[in-house]
Amino acid sequence: MRGFVVVDGGVEAALEPEEARILASLAAQLSSLLGEAADDEALSDADPAVARLLPDAYRDDEEAAAEWRRLSRRALAERKGAFASRFAADLADAAAASQTTRIRLDEAGAIDWMRAIGDLRLVLAERMEVGDDREGMSDLYDWLAWMQDDLVRVLDLAEERGA
Amino acid sequence: MVALPAVPLVDESVDVERRELHASEVPWITIVWNDPVNLMSYVAWVFRRHFGMDAPTAEQRMMQVHTEGRAVVAEGNREAMERHVEAMHEYGLWATLERAPR
Repeated sequence: MRGFVVVDGGVEAALEPEEARILASLAAQLSSLLGEAADDEALSDADPAVARLLPDAYRDDEEAAAEWRRLSRRALAERKGAFASRFAADLADAAAASQTTRIRLDEAGAIDWMRAIGDLRLVLAERMEVGDDREGMSDLYDWLAWMQDDLVRVLDLAEERGA
Repeated sequence: MVALPAVPLVDESVDVERRELHASEVPWITIVWNDPVNLMSYVAWVFRRHFGMDAPTAEQRMMQVHTEGRAVVAEGNREAMERHVEAMHEYGLWATLERAPR
């Protein structure tokens, strides 16, 4: 893909099937991880990536932090899971296609993509610490950074043009 | 810096006991912490988008996170700060709230 452009009602990018398949697979894994994390608070202790996706809201007050987790953690995990699911769903057609597919996103969709891409980078950063395919993950990590940065750029551009 | 719910001003005439009753009105702050993952462009964008900061303010606050390890991005009552922290977590930023230093 070459990056996003501003179009009527949002932004658009052309994705190759292979690119869409990789992103869709990552998005599905993220959605699944967040689904597990929503149901299992102990996963934050077992998996540093989950701890980073769903950090404590209080730093030096364990009681308040625990209360926060009890009240807010599940819903937060579910909302983040929904961003990842939407990212995956938006990619489904392009992933199943045999040729380049243009994907159009409205602003809310683009923001969900940015959030999901950011969360994927948080997970990859943790996995790279211990993983055995560091080079592959590092390429993905950089590619996702480029894509998120490009979304920031194009949303600013869309806002300028809309203003 | 940011449009926030008004914090009740402390009335200098009230006595200590009454002030303690209003401990819930002591301001809280939202802090964003540095992490090695989030992009500088994205963090500044989140500050503009969520807090309504103008571009120079968002850039300055983002650089403060980057160079000093943390920056205070909002101040107000506890409930409002909890909502900001939750919003930051939705964006993947690492944020916490605590009582404002007196």
